[in-house]
Amino acid sequence: MPRGLWTTTVGSFPKPPRLEKVRQQAARGEATPEALHAMEREETVKLIQRQDEIGLDILVDGELYRGDMTTYFAERTPGFAISKPVRSYGNRYYRKPVAVGPIRRKEPWTVAWWKFAQEQTKKPIKGMLTGPYTMMDWSFNEHYPSRAAMTMDLAAAVNEEALALQEAGATHIQIDEPAISVRPDELSLAVKAFARATEGLKAKTITHICYGDFHVIYPALLDLPVDQIDLELANSRYDLLDRFREHRFTKEIGYGVLDVHSHRIETKEEIKEGILRGLEVLKPEQIYVDPDCGLKTRTPDEAFAKLEAMVAAVREVREEKGITG
Amino acid sequence: MTIQSTLAGSYPKLPTEPGDVNVRVIRNRVDAGRATEKDLADAVSATTKRVLDLQEKQGVDLPMDGQIAWDDAQTYVARGLKGVMIAGLLRYIDTNTYYRQPEIVGPIEWTQPITAADFRAAQAMSARPLKAFLPGPYSLYRFSKDIRYGDPIAGAGAYGVALAAEAAALEEAGATWIHFEDPWLGRARAEDARAVVAAYEPLLAGRRAKTMVHVPFGAPQQVFDDLRPLPWSGIGLDLIEGPGGWDLLPRIPEGRTVGLGLLDARNTRLEEPAAVAASVARARAARPDLDIHISPTASLEYLPADTAEKKLERLVAATRAAREGA
Repeated sequence: MPRGLWTTTVGSFPKPPRLEKVRQQAARGEATPEALHAMEREETVKLIQRQDEIGLDILVDGELYRGDMTTYFAERTPGFAISKPVRSYGNRYYRKPVAVGPIRRKEPWTVAWWKFAQEQTKKPIKGMLTGPYTMMDWSFNEHYPSRAAMTMDLAAAVNEEALALQEAGATHIQIDEPAISVRPDELSLAVKAFARATEGLKAKTITHICYGDFHVIYPALLDLPVDQIDLELANSRYDLLDRFREHRFTKEIGYGVLDVHSHRIETKEEIKEGILRGLEVLKPEQIYVDPDCGLKTRTPDEAFAKLEAMVAAVREVREEKGITG
Repeated sequence: MTIQSTLAGSYPKLPTEPGDVNVRVIRNRVDAGRATEKDLADAVSATTKRVLDLQEKQGVDLPMDGQIAWDDAQTYVARGLKGVMIAGLLRYIDTNTYYRQPEIVGPIEWTQPITAADFRAAQAMSARPLKAFLPGPYSLYRFSKDIRYGDPIAGAGAYGVALAAEAAALEEAGATWIHFEDPWLGRARAEDARAVVAAYEPLLAGRRAKTMVHVPFGAPQQVFDDLRPLPWSGIGLDLIEGPGGWDLLPRIPEGRTVGLGLLDARNTRLEEPAAVAASVARARAARPDLDIHISPTASLEYLPADTAEKKLERLVAATRAAREGA
């Protein structure tokens, strides 16, 4: 009986309103860092329990303690300053890192959180990092003479953190590189930096890439030295599958079936249809079903309802196709 | 030969001073049901006024309205065209900003003015004539998913016709300059030239307003010979991300304007006005006959509001220095 169609998520979850409130209070100095940290831990425990209840196979800590996926790391790294808010889309803003000096990792970024999260469950918790190319591309640069120089310093820093996560026991390490999909001229730099970032890792490596022109970088994307590439399929209506017919997808795939920018809860049937379409060109053991991207833009209710529909759809497909987990 | 300062697209919506109207906050309140659409429209209007006042105070010669109501550079216009739906979120070229992808599902038709009322309202708040903004037709096609035409020449051409009608509406509203943002021209290859021409021929024919075809994030080297004979008034070059634009200067037809994108809209590092003025002098040495617009390389909305304001100061100082050196 074939194995496959494991379920997971891309990383971030929405912050519960009570946590948002305390974050805002802490930012204004009206709540202590200790109070904020205590609530982050409390909500992380609940979130891991909820993922377990939903029946996901590979869990995440949910990043409830992080703001933005680049800024969180930059705030903890000498060489970076943080800008005032910059718009990303519509009414969404983030504070962007600014390289103002040599970038060096001075202390672990995520290891304590990973350990805490893993203590809450027997299922694997993914270590979650942002990749060096994306960190570079999504930062302003007032220090480095070139994009390559900045990227390679970041790659060395990410590698130190990834090895520390592995040392702590992480068996799955995800290093997200969403920016890779938009500059084909720099794909070789991104590949070189990713190789540096994953040097010495024996854990399963994953990268998440989204919202770009994959038709331009595929199949060169398969040159990335990584075990699994996580892609958004639902947002592009599974167009990528046509490319996989032309050129076989040779790695494991994180197979995005939920539109994280829509309030609508996908039906079990439409998710099943998307998975079945994937099985026409991919083997079940290649596929890890998940949302298109991090769920932090949804409400908690929307996020959990979407995941419940996803897990129900996967269970039915597994049953119909005789696939075990 | 004249030297003027201008913007190259939208401007940050957030205020730098506490107490100023914050359109982001009002939008959040509208989403939460705690404010009305009228409140949002008032906030957009107040923010537009603030952005125009700032440009006037700094001394920008050819201001723009900042596109405060726009989510991205094309959806605002695309959703007003018949035959175009708005679909999933995509990254805007290689920026960490996003747009909703227009999907061409039927014949593209312009049915009514989309931006003219906004332009009129903004112009009424400004002592100086404003430069209007529209997406470039070639990029609008490249940003779209084409289910209807299946042919870039037909699809980009249809956008060109539709945007020509919108440009006419802007002219009717009083626009004397119209800025077309067309980043894909910098990525177009020689084989794309027919689609580029098909997009711009109907758009530029018979225009009363002056037209600036602005190419951020690259230089239109591969298609410039095809663009060259078309009746645009100005070509805007991003000379930081597209240094190849310098090679195009000698080939710009006489009597036109060149837009020199010399202030990096995608990095917080601040330019020295003297260095910008030196680049302007280099351009003047190559083409002393051309009128010059000095601008950021792209929309200043890629920057935080405080840095954008500093870039504006540098823009105006650099323009002054360039004039003094002229």
